[in-house]
Amino acid sequence: MKRSHNFTCIVCPMSCQIELIEEDDKILEVRGNGCKRGEEYVTEEFTNPVRMLTTTIPVQEGRIAMLPVRSERPVPKNLLRRCMKELSKVRVKAPVRCGDMIYENILDTGVSIISSRDLSIGNCSEVR
Amino acid sequence: MGGRDQKIVKKLEKKIVKKGFPDVKISADEGIVRLNGRVNLWSEVITIGYLAAKTKGVKGVINDVTAGEIERKGEEKKVTKRGVYENVSLPKRADVVIVGGGVIGCFIARELSRYKLDVVLLEKESDVACEATKANSGVVHSGIGESSGTLKQKLNVKGNKMCDKVCEELNVPFERDGLLIVITTETLPPKVRKVLPSFISNFICEKIIPYVIFRKGKKAGIPLRPVKREELLEMEPNITDKAIVGVYSPTYGVVYPYEITIALAENAIQNGVKIALNTEVEDILVEDGKVKGVLTDRGTIEAEYVINAAGIFADEVAEMAGAREFSIHPRKGSIIIFDKDMKGYINHSLSELILPQDPHTKGGGIFTTVDGNPNWGPDAIEVSDKYDKSVTAEEIDTIFECGSLLPDFQKSSLITYFAGLRAATYEEDFFIKASENVLGFVNVAGIQSPGLASSPAIAEMVRGILREIGLKMREKEEFNPIRRAIPKFSNLSIEEKKKLIKENPLYGNVICRCEHVTEGEVVDAIHRPLPATTVDAVKRRVRTGMGRCQGGFCGPKVARILARELNIPLEEVTKDGPGSNLFVGKTKSLLAEEA
Amino acid sequence: MIEVDVAIIGGGPAGLASAMKACEEGVKDILIIERGMELGGILLQCIHDGFGTFIFEETLTGPEYAQRYIDEVKKTGINVKLNTMVLEIDSAKRIIAVNQEDGLLEIEAKAIILSMGCRERTRAQILIPGDRPSGIYTAGVAQRYINIEGVIPGKKVVILGSGDIGMIMARRFTLEGAEVEGVYEVMSNPGGLTRNVVQCVEDYEIPLHLSHTITNIRGRRRVEGVTVAKVDSEMRPIKDTERFVPCDTVILSVGLIPENELSKSADVGMDPITNGPIVDEQMQTSVPGIFACGNVVHVHDLVDDVSKVAEVAGKGAAGYIDGKLKKRRSPIKVRAGRNVKYVVPQIIHGEKFDEDIRFYLRVKEIEKSVKTVVLADGERIFEKKIKIVKPPEMVKLDISPDILNRITGDELIIDVEGEEDEEKP
Repeated sequence: MKRSHNFTCIVCPMSCQIELIEEDDKILEVRGNGCKRGEEYVTEEFTNPVRMLTTTIPVQEGRIAMLPVRSERPVPKNLLRRCMKELSKVRVKAPVRCGDMIYENILDTGVSIISSRDLSIGNCSEVR
Repeated sequence: MGGRDQKIVKKLEKKIVKKGFPDVKISADEGIVRLNGRVNLWSEVITIGYLAAKTKGVKGVINDVTAGEIERKGEEKKVTKRGVYENVSLPKRADVVIVGGGVIGCFIARELSRYKLDVVLLEKESDVACEATKANSGVVHSGIGESSGTLKQKLNVKGNKMCDKVCEELNVPFERDGLLIVITTETLPPKVRKVLPSFISNFICEKIIPYVIFRKGKKAGIPLRPVKREELLEMEPNITDKAIVGVYSPTYGVVYPYEITIALAENAIQNGVKIALNTEVEDILVEDGKVKGVLTDRGTIEAEYVINAAGIFADEVAEMAGAREFSIHPRKGSIIIFDKDMKGYINHSLSELILPQDPHTKGGGIFTTVDGNPNWGPDAIEVSDKYDKSVTAEEIDTIFECGSLLPDFQKSSLITYFAGLRAATYEEDFFIKASENVLGFVNVAGIQSPGLASSPAIAEMVRGILREIGLKMREKEEFNPIRRAIPKFSNLSIEEKKKLIKENPLYGNVICRCEHVTEGEVVDAIHRPLPATTVDAVKRRVRTGMGRCQGGFCGPKVARILARELNIPLEEVTKDGPGSNLFVGKTKSLLAEEA
Repeated sequence: MIEVDVAIIGGGPAGLASAMKACEEGVKDILIIERGMELGGILLQCIHDGFGTFIFEETLTGPEYAQRYIDEVKKTGINVKLNTMVLEIDSAKRIIAVNQEDGLLEIEAKAIILSMGCRERTRAQILIPGDRPSGIYTAGVAQRYINIEGVIPGKKVVILGSGDIGMIMARRFTLEGAEVEGVYEVMSNPGGLTRNVVQCVEDYEIPLHLSHTITNIRGRRRVEGVTVAKVDSEMRPIKDTERFVPCDTVILSVGLIPENELSKSADVGMDPITNGPIVDEQMQTSVPGIFACGNVVHVHDLVDDVSKVAEVAGKGAAGYIDGKLKKRRSPIKVRAGRNVKYVVPQIIHGEKFDEDIRFYLRVKEIEKSVKTVVLADGERIFEKKIKIVKPPEMVKLDISPDILNRITGDELIIDVEGEEDEEKP
């Protein structure tokens, strides 16, 4: 069965409304794109949409309460919420260095979660 | 019903039927009129109440008429959580219980703390000054706005004179910036302006009106001075061209109404009064026509004297005692406050005289806080809901019109707006009396503007009433009228700042970018005799969040300091007491809930 | 009294980049004064990615972007005072600041760089009527609570304003398990970048209601709900489209304003449109030796641009203190023309230019197939075709010295010309 999917291109400020037509996951046509990059974008968004996951992890004995973390590489878009669930149980202890691995191979994606800053030991109830 | 009461009912029935409300039931007892029934609109309830109050021989109006179409019905969700808000244990007995921690209740508490008495003040909110007291212009009126011969005028004139001493004792700022009543080309009603030749209307505006005001002031003992146009322009260079002349009232002043109330409460506590916050009165216990005690949601206090200073809830508290002789119909007033950047744009409080005057409000004006923030308003709107403190879009537009005296004022410097509810009675005067039916119960009700200016005199009057109805008062030698203020870092000189930081380094940590409030001030506020336990309570004491960013910068810091000093988790910090939590949990807690 | 060569007010992205540049240019004694407990400014709470594509040619999170500069600053001799609030600056470049360790500090600087960033517009400034319960936050404050303080403000959220932070917070709340009922935007177009519309709102199927606003907030202790309504073409709410939405939290993303108290206290000339100081091509304000850069001048959409312009200020300050900075002569005013809300720098100086000047333009309205045109004395000295301009996306024009040196007169006008205008002879 032929199906059509609509995308807003984010490659440049033109924000082209692009339509992708497929049949059984086979892309038949891409239309509405102003340039080649638009076609590449929607093809990727259709076949394997991925997003960077960024969130925070509670830190013990840190100078602030939360450690910002991210996936080293983008992960499949449909796994984002499950990744969040998985990470909600994780706790870390200060000190942490930017780039430290926090959680290995999340949901068997082969992607690890890493720290995105240095965080030294301290007391977050000191209000500074 | 006696013959006089029957006469009142007959007369009033006629009036009310004529207005088109035949279903309202009327009864009277010793001049106190009770009205029951149902009408369509809230405004009709109000009309009926005033009709009754204006009927000859009526001493009080209990208006229980309900309206079919109520725009907004007040409902209060019961929140039982107490924890840090329960500041004192509730005593089993007291000589005097004061219900309500507004400026009136706190002033009475402080007044009674001069004597050897066990005094307990009960306040349902988590701080004092939470209702009308916190939401007014802070104006200490001179009394010129009140009708001659009213209790309001008498107590206002007296109270105004008492303010300097009290504020000095309590260490709270009080500025007598004076009021300019401005007579403009719009003072006379359009109809009058249309028919009168301009030289006559000019004469009325320039000569007669200032003279009438001046005479009224002289009679009441209020100093006033007529101001010619040239001087008016000199005093207020930014004023509109419409201004013709003015009348200057030099005794007008401003305070922070919540600050003075907190200071009174602290001073009362210093002198032995117990103030129980977050404690709601559920019943007044009466036996054989005498007060026996107060039932609260935290237990019972035995007492023979109860003072009802419950503001907009005063009629409900009086009803509990069976001593209700009035109704409170909340009249909302909204105020817009501007950035202190605009300090200096006006030098005095300003009020444009528009005739005819609304009999129930002095009308809004242009005022300046002690720190120099201009504020406009309040307006006056009858509302059916005692919890309705919303500011509507229409009100904002109306209040902006107050500013027509200052045509070039930069309105974009607006910081915020808020509303308070005036505790208006239908008699429109203060109702300060010992109950004749219930011995030991004193109503201090219907206190609306100029309640703040009158409050010192009201406290004195209540002391007198208590003595008259038999309370023994012996002076305490150790009474100390002086209250230490929280040091205000931003007002200090460089040398004073240096010294203060040396004594306590927390004064070196500025946590509020707009008002330059330090951590030291916040910590002090939390550990005062009357502790600040909420973000708003801290704000009322040290001004965190009162600046242009409205707490964007300091909010997280104040919340953290409260959590630390009160030893509670951050997520339990509230804006203004139970039910007003800032957060629903720790980050991640909602994900755990989902599972 | 402490004496320094360059004092930098604020250790966020603008302060950090300007400090590094001044250091590179050979300034010895540099002091960054930061009111927070660490360097990095607002970036530290912007945990999402998308930063650094121009400067580092990779996509970083906010904390990582900051970390790169912090690591660099640590390698230099740049002095940093943390937890230090500047109370006052005067036009003689004297600074009064305060912290716990030093107490009151009096600092005299040869040059000052203002880099205090911006603050958020509040509920009252956009006149939303209603109650004042707990549960109303600006987006940046909510972001700080969730990402730094570790507490979540609400479970059911309504967001007003589709600026970038508003949309980013829509995603953040959703990922943390809260329900975002919708994002409401008073304009007929999203206020932020399309990328954020797609990745923060559409990805999570959050409804984005354009031409809508909140007309009332209801709640006694905590927010109980809001009334939303469609607006007409003049942005007035349409009464019969009002609808009550139960929620416990209102998040406002309704604009940013440069932090301008200290700029005002230093008595620098202000631009009423940007709400920041008027600057020249060196990012120097009207007070010689006081420079300004980043969101304190005007609100940028990309931190990369902030860093870049901060370098200009850092270099300018270095030039000022060793006297290399060109004498201020013949100022040329730069004026915003057709469909341009503002242009920064607002002034350029000098008889002879030897470097590109980058002009930043904010347009008033969306327009396709336009030309940006620079006019000097009526003459079109520069033209550039652009496929589309939008208010959320800043337009940057780099103008080379050979063009700049052709300027006669004392005024430049920058226009965005639409298709019709092109037809004109």
